[in-house]
Amino acid sequence: MDQLLQHLLNALILGSTYALLGIGLTFIFGIMRVVNFAHGELYTFGAYMVYLFSVLLGVNFLLSIVIAIVLGIMLGALLEWVLLSRLRGADIDTTMLVMIGAWIIMQNAEQLIWSGVAKSIPMPFPEEPLSVGGVSVAWSRVFVFAVAILLIVGSQTLIQRTRLGKAMRATFQDRDTASLMGININMIYLATFALGSGLAAAAGALLGPIFIVMPTMGNLAVVKAFAIVILGGLGNMKGAALGGFVLALVEELGAGYISSGYRDAMGFLLIILVLMVKPTGLFARTERIG
Amino acid sequence: MLEVDNIECRYGKVDVLRKVSLSVGKGEFVALIGANGAGKSTTLKAISGLLPPVGGRITFEGEDITRASARRILEMGIAHCPEGRRVFPYMTVQENLEMGCYRRRDWKHMSDDMDAVFDRFPVLGERRAQAAGTLSGGEQQLLAIGRALMSRPKLVLFDEPSLGLAPNNVQKTFEYIMEINRQGTTVLMVEQNAYAALEMCDRSYLLESGHVSLEGRGDDMIHNPHVQQAYLGMEV
Repeated sequence: MDQLLQHLLNALILGSTYALLGIGLTFIFGIMRVVNFAHGELYTFGAYMVYLFSVLLGVNFLLSIVIAIVLGIMLGALLEWVLLSRLRGADIDTTMLVMIGAWIIMQNAEQLIWSGVAKSIPMPFPEEPLSVGGVSVAWSRVFVFAVAILLIVGSQTLIQRTRLGKAMRATFQDRDTASLMGININMIYLATFALGSGLAAAAGALLGPIFIVMPTMGNLAVVKAFAIVILGGLGNMKGAALGGFVLALVEELGAGYISSGYRDAMGFLLIILVLMVKPTGLFARTERIG
Repeated sequence: MLEVDNIECRYGKVDVLRKVSLSVGKGEFVALIGANGAGKSTTLKAISGLLPPVGGRITFEGEDITRASARRILEMGIAHCPEGRRVFPYMTVQENLEMGCYRRRDWKHMSDDMDAVFDRFPVLGERRAQAAGTLSGGEQQLLAIGRALMSRPKLVLFDEPSLGLAPNNVQKTFEYIMEINRQGTTVLMVEQNAYAALEMCDRSYLLESGHVSLEGRGDDMIHNPHVQQAYLGMEV
């Protein structure tokens, strides 16, 4: 029983970062119809920025995470401005190929800059785990969970309540009419891609110190992000968040009770099953983005 | 107020408008009638900046807006109430109205204007927190009009406001538009329901296969044999 509780707790924590990844990708696909293959590289970027600032430059750990997220937002904005803003009206295949190119370039650049050797980032939390009623959890994971939930709630609030968020939803629902309202569609796209990228960088910045940081860490992340988004129903924000938790739960239980070697396979097995039964995803509804 | 001078528009390689000219004076109610595919909606899109013309010139209050952005044109005082209502279906009634005044910054007056829409149409007020997609067609049309007015425009372009509405809603919509015009807002309206449009308007233009084939006062147009035969379904 304690073992099950422990697995559920681990799934909840891992799921919160998966949800961040999924929400970021959903933003970008939902609003811009861009299949962002570079999403995993933003994740890697976030992790390396924490490494750079907290380990190499000796900046405070928490501040390093904030810096990593801000830089992720800026890198996203740059990618949008340099690559995607020139491809307005291009079909989805074209932008997909361009983003695959960006993925390859960014990953090789990371290899060049940081070398292929994995790095670890120490976290400034007590060694002694937090124990409550037979389950224990490392403080570092409590921290990851808290920040991830904060970011999920924050981005949801942004979309639902703010002027920018409402303009994003309007653009998603009807682009031409949104531009008749005086909404600057190019600005909305820039903000969307930057925000989605920032969330991916945040996931990397949070998980990097928990695991290890290496140039190829984004490959599995991007595939999982797609899995989460498909699981949740394409373009559905709440679905992406729930999809993240479901994927983590299946991975965690599969690794715990079946085989830890097949941990990453469990999630994909689930996707195959879900798509066989419900091709629109678990939480597909008519309502999208918001 | 608005001068459209020999504009030409294309969708890809297809010419949709061939040298369309028209003018709308301050406070006027001008109707644009014509058959499907004559280029009525395209003319409105050219004016509001959704489909900038490839030739010709559009000026509004003396300023050239031919290639201006939709945003700039809205800020100058032209609102476009698009065909088929086009409310944001998953946003609430209130959020739809908020989008209508997206570029305004005078928060105090914005909420007054919103209350004015709700006072005029209590049904929208009752449903302000409801998704716009759940409203009936007639309610959506009222919302779309209310949304267009939220930018406090000097000129409103209405595209087929009666399209797909039940007859009593058509009546309500037309009354609302006439009321807006009486209160001083200039109106340029595209309408397939030619008889109703000609009765309501001060002046009108008949658009046929991409150019203006006839213009005149509304009641003169009603008595024109060509209009009667082709657009009013009368035997001449």
